[in-house]
Amino acid sequence: MPQLEASVAVDFTSEEYRDAYSRINAIVIEGEQEAVGNYTKLAELLPDSREQLLSLAKMESRHKKGFEACGRNLSVTPDMDFAREFFSQLHQNFQTAAAAGNVVTCLLIQALIIECFAIAAYNIYIPVADDFARKITEGVVKDEYAHLNFGEQWLSEHFETAKADLEAANRQNLPLVWKMLNQVEGDAQVLGMDKDALVEDFMIQYGEALANIGFSNRDVMRLSAMGLAAI
Amino acid sequence: MFGLIGHLTSLEHAQSVAAELGYPEYADQGLDFWCSAPPQIVDDITVTSVTGQTIQGKYVESCFLPEMLATRRIKAATRKVVNAMAHAQKHGINITALGGFSSIIFENFNLEQVQQVRNVMLDFQRFTTGNTHTAYIICRQVEKGASQLGIELSNATIAVCGATGDIGSAVCRWLNECTNVAELLLIARNQERLHDLQAELGRGKIMELTEALPLADIVVWVASMPKGMEIDPVTLKRPCLLIDGGYPKNLATKIQQPDVYVLNGGIVEHSLDIEWKIMRIVNMDVPARQLFACFAESMLLEFEKWYTNFSWGRNRITVEKMEQIGKVSVKHGFSPLLI
Repeated sequence: MPQLEASVAVDFTSEEYRDAYSRINAIVIEGEQEAVGNYTKLAELLPDSREQLLSLAKMESRHKKGFEACGRNLSVTPDMDFAREFFSQLHQNFQTAAAAGNVVTCLLIQALIIECFAIAAYNIYIPVADDFARKITEGVVKDEYAHLNFGEQWLSEHFETAKADLEAANRQNLPLVWKMLNQVEGDAQVLGMDKDALVEDFMIQYGEALANIGFSNRDVMRLSAMGLAAI
Repeated sequence: MFGLIGHLTSLEHAQSVAAELGYPEYADQGLDFWCSAPPQIVDDITVTSVTGQTIQGKYVESCFLPEMLATRRIKAATRKVVNAMAHAQKHGINITALGGFSSIIFENFNLEQVQQVRNVMLDFQRFTTGNTHTAYIICRQVEKGASQLGIELSNATIAVCGATGDIGSAVCRWLNECTNVAELLLIARNQERLHDLQAELGRGKIMELTEALPLADIVVWVASMPKGMEIDPVTLKRPCLLIDGGYPKNLATKIQQPDVYVLNGGIVEHSLDIEWKIMRIVNMDVPARQLFACFAESMLLEFEKWYTNFSWGRNRITVEKMEQIGKVSVKHGFSPLLI
């Protein structure tokens, strides 16, 4: 039986680590910023849930500040241009759906895909993070479960009418996530995060969310693997 | 509710099963994809004991493949096991057996240190390796198989390959205490553990595999290796009973010699009514009537409502516990697979 290799200690101060961190940290900050905007927009589209959505937006704003502090703690300047470009296509898809009043697609992008990805990435990051970032991230991940829960609940209540839109939005957006992941595979590896672990955790979280909404096991397997083969 | 954590035997096998079950997204993929694949509940199972009692269960496919060990994707292999456990627990399963390589990986990589998986705190009381029942069934296979072949245990030499493992050491304890076997040959890689076992038993000869095989009337193979086992059948005694309790089981196809009888070890036959599709797929010779003894253990624990990790930790299986699980095994309709 082969043996597990001892994990190599991460040097958080090395040039290589800080360089990779400048992009990953920026993505996280931008992701939280996108979430603020997306939940604010959703509050307009879903007036009945306005207060709740605005409070989610506020939480995301707090998360953003936390992650900015993580960058400062390592004296890293986040590469925000890279991060905005990184999110541009997903951002555009959200804006287009919002302009068309397509709440289902908006919720799938923000409350399911982005939240599940954030949860997966934070869970994989926590064991390899520096002490400061670990504490911040542990706090954030707890909140993100609540955000995921909002989307799951709304979509399960509207499952029958939302099903077709969810499938279409999944087909359009999930392949983007795999592409985005590939783009930062190397940087994530420098931070000690394996791509296959990230994909697996995402698929577990996303699959659970789809099942909670009402999709069958077979649908979950099909939807959560959509486009993964092509990468 | 009981659960079974299983996996497929190779990448090729996984691809063909995914195609057969109608999952094209999974069917054409290589090892990288399976390293990222999440656990899935792929079957619901209803089991009716010969006593008439009925229980429900779920089959959790962990998406682990033995190639992950062979290609040193160790982190992926360990993730598959803990993620499948978290999945079973999240679905409210009371007692789940870690089948195939799952329990081996759990033990070998000390996964009891992994207590939290995402937002799930693993409750190890809900899991069993199933090794107590497996060891019991292998011992019964030795006893009954020997009698079928006319091998008198009081004159026989039994070689246990993988003697210091959880199942191997339990088999040695049983053979020592419950049978009058003439000679026990102990084979394993770790010399220190071998000497400890020998001291515990107060008997047994420590030997190399190649040295032991020609002497044995019965060989109990309970070592597990990613690629299975190689034995040179020419050196074996005639008759010889080979009980392949390792994983994966490959001796029966490799060794076809007159008077060498290969028996798949740790497999039970049953007359229970089990409604499930998956056994046909996981390579049982007679899917409707055969089953891994470790899986049967979780069913037995569910039948008896013994919601506890009956088999857990390394080398803690006592003869008393083997007798205890053996009694309910017989009661509910399981019997050891014979020649």
